[in-house]
Amino acid sequence: MIIFLAAQVLPGDVARRILGPFADQRAVDELSKELGTDQSLLAQYWDWISSFVTGDLGESAVTGRPVSDVLLDPLVASAKLALLAFIIVVPLSIAGGVLAALHEGTGRDRLISVGGLSATAIPEFVWAVLFLLIFALWLGWFPTTAQPPDGAGLFTQIEYLLLPSLCLVCVLFGYIARMARAGTIEALEADYTRTAILKGLPQRTVIRRHVLRNSLLPTIAVVATQAGYLMGGLVIIETIFNYQGIGLTLARAATQKDIPVLQSGVLIIGIVYLVATLIADILYSVLNPRVRLEAAAE
Amino acid sequence: MRRDEIQRQVDAVRAERSELENHIIDEYRAGYIGRREFIRRGTVIGMSLPLVGFLASACGDDDDDGQGQTTGTEVDTSDIKKGGVLKTGILAPASDLDPIVVNNEGALAILGQSGEYLVFSDSTLKAVPRLAESWKPNRDGSQWEFKIRQGVKYHDGKPMTAEDVAATFNLHADPDSGSNALSAFTGVLSPGGAQAIDKSTVMFELDAPNGNFPYSTSSDNYNMIILPKGFDTKTWPKTFLGTGPWKLEKYTPNVGVTYTKNPDYWDTARQPLGAGSEIKFYEKEEAGILGVQGGEVDVLAHFSPVGGEPLLTDPNIQVIELRSSVHRQLHMRTDKEPFNDKRVRQAVALLIDRENLIEGLLEGKSDPGNDSPFAPVYPSTDKSVAQRKQDVEKAKQLLSDAGKGNFSVELRTWNGFEIPPYSELIQSDLKEAGITVTLDITDAGTYYGDAVFGKSPWLDSTFGITEYGHRGVPNVFLGAPLKSDGTWNSAHFKNKEYDKLVTDYVAALDLQSQRTAAKQIQELLLDEVPIVFAYFYYYLTATKPNVAGVQVSAMGHVDVVQSGEKA
Repeated sequence: MIIFLAAQVLPGDVARRILGPFADQRAVDELSKELGTDQSLLAQYWDWISSFVTGDLGESAVTGRPVSDVLLDPLVASAKLALLAFIIVVPLSIAGGVLAALHEGTGRDRLISVGGLSATAIPEFVWAVLFLLIFALWLGWFPTTAQPPDGAGLFTQIEYLLLPSLCLVCVLFGYIARMARAGTIEALEADYTRTAILKGLPQRTVIRRHVLRNSLLPTIAVVATQAGYLMGGLVIIETIFNYQGIGLTLARAATQKDIPVLQSGVLIIGIVYLVATLIADILYSVLNPRVRLEAAAE
Repeated sequence: MRRDEIQRQVDAVRAERSELENHIIDEYRAGYIGRREFIRRGTVIGMSLPLVGFLASACGDDDDDGQGQTTGTEVDTSDIKKGGVLKTGILAPASDLDPIVVNNEGALAILGQSGEYLVFSDSTLKAVPRLAESWKPNRDGSQWEFKIRQGVKYHDGKPMTAEDVAATFNLHADPDSGSNALSAFTGVLSPGGAQAIDKSTVMFELDAPNGNFPYSTSSDNYNMIILPKGFDTKTWPKTFLGTGPWKLEKYTPNVGVTYTKNPDYWDTARQPLGAGSEIKFYEKEEAGILGVQGGEVDVLAHFSPVGGEPLLTDPNIQVIELRSSVHRQLHMRTDKEPFNDKRVRQAVALLIDRENLIEGLLEGKSDPGNDSPFAPVYPSTDKSVAQRKQDVEKAKQLLSDAGKGNFSVELRTWNGFEIPPYSELIQSDLKEAGITVTLDITDAGTYYGDAVFGKSPWLDSTFGITEYGHRGVPNVFLGAPLKSDGTWNSAHFKNKEYDKLVTDYVAALDLQSQRTAAKQIQELLLDEVPIVFAYFYYYLTATKPNVAGVQVSAMGHVDVVQSGEKA
């Protein structure tokens, strides 16, 4: 309802947006009637919500295509980009964070911490432009777009998605690595780590079994919150790389005042956030026996 | 051939031509119009290109300016590889592809790939016959008879008929259809005004005499692709049905379209050289620029001089530039302080440094405007009207005479194209005479609002900038934004003399009469200045250097039928 009401605040009506400012007013009135946007707000909202609860997302006000069709491909596209970025950034930043923690205070630590934070501080569009100029235009190693040709195989898709993924890696690395570093330092100083070392366990085993397992807990929460951002918040990256993801689709819907697409899209992004948080909670309980034991005791 | 023999043939031809056609031939012989304009004007009133080509040679000098083909602008295809697939980048359509609602450059470029118009308004503003074989007006231009090409088939194999043509026009002229073309037909054609009088003839009964009516049937009025009678236009995006050289293979919304060659295409002189064609959509101009520079597409259909500067200096890019009538209107409310005194409006126009604007902002890719819609590209524009130039002292004097010294005014517009830096230049130029301009630059939706008086900053603001695309003739620009009852009259300009002159101009069938009316309109607007027309920028297209044969129109149509990589 909030999205519906917020969309009403946007200036201009849908029919006018579709036909453009120079269209004859009679044509605009006719289209408003056809789209049902000449009805009261309450009637419009009721139409949408009553269909939505039955699984019918309605039709795009601009293109007339079913909203499910409009959103499906962009959702899949965003999921691909998010997955590739995740596959690169999560292990890389955890490894970076742990490495920095194990060498706390050294040059290596400073390089990872300061370098990572600096990379995070640079906005994603700057990375995008830099990478495009260097790797796509000057060196010609990558395409200038992220949208692969029709029927592209897995490796071709990865080739197209690599540059935008690297931009996201730059933006997220510092953030996740910092959390991994802090968690690792905390775990390294914990009593159970000291006990493990004192009872003579090899350092590698201590780190794998005791340190990593505990240090990853805050990192998982951070990664989960980024999942929603990667799925729905990449408007700028998607625009620069001309990639038809869900972020760009929703931004377009907002510009065109395509309320059915906007409402359903935002709802789906919300569900993605919920699912990501749920997965994080499950992982948390897997990694932290206390959570499982507390739940069992209750 | 001997001179007297040529003259005998000319006389024989003239005996069969109408009074209007003979009048234009006389204009040409007397030197009032040049060869190019004779050919253009001849085609507008319905003379066939071979005929007009013959008369141009017979009645004028012998220099050949490349005209005289049958149905399109001639392209030398001898050094183009055949059978490839050219990739063209365009701006993503910002609307549904229903021909009724199409209203933007990306979408109209798609309509023109598989669909066809009665007439094509080409890069030189010439009216080229496509689905119409020929046309002619009655004595006063209130009726136009179009001969419809026979033997043309839609992509589904059904024949295209005169009934289809009449139905297409009556549909778009009907307010109940909600057509975007309604603005162009208001006061020109009413529903039922198009009638198929036999299987190959459509008669248009116009609301008023109109000497440029063929342009209303042309690609300039881009919604008007010919479709079968009774066709549900909402289903068009599923089939891309038309009679054109390309057939739909696959359409992926927001991503692009692939086409295959139409094996039944009627025009033997204009068969596609490629095995297919691919269109790729770009959400933003910047992505398209990178696309053509990075080799992702072979052609970028359109880029602006401001955003596309890297392409203008890239040695690996070939730029096609067309003079056009694309412009920005800086309106001043003639019914409101401080612009209700025309001396203030004149002062504003005199303060704008057009040379700096064109060289600095538009990279020189623009013609100067002279505060009327008569762009230099239009043949009817009277070039003898003195060009307005920056004159700060005169502007200060005018402001002083009007008793308007230092005043402040808000300039409203939106953040598209080169409009924000243009606004800043206006702000800077007006400061020289003590005028303080505050900028209110919003998004397009906010600026246009509901696009009706009382609910739109565009139409209600005291001072504002609005963008207008190209038209092959200035009729639309002369009407809605400037006539007393104009629906886009943001300057609230009401001038009976102007209204009458526009009616005269629109009704004029021959160029001499058009120029006579145009001169009066130009002088009136130069004096009244309800709107500053500072520049008309060029339509720019980029291709890879090894690509040849690409044809574009400043309206946004891109034609790669006779294009490909150089052999």
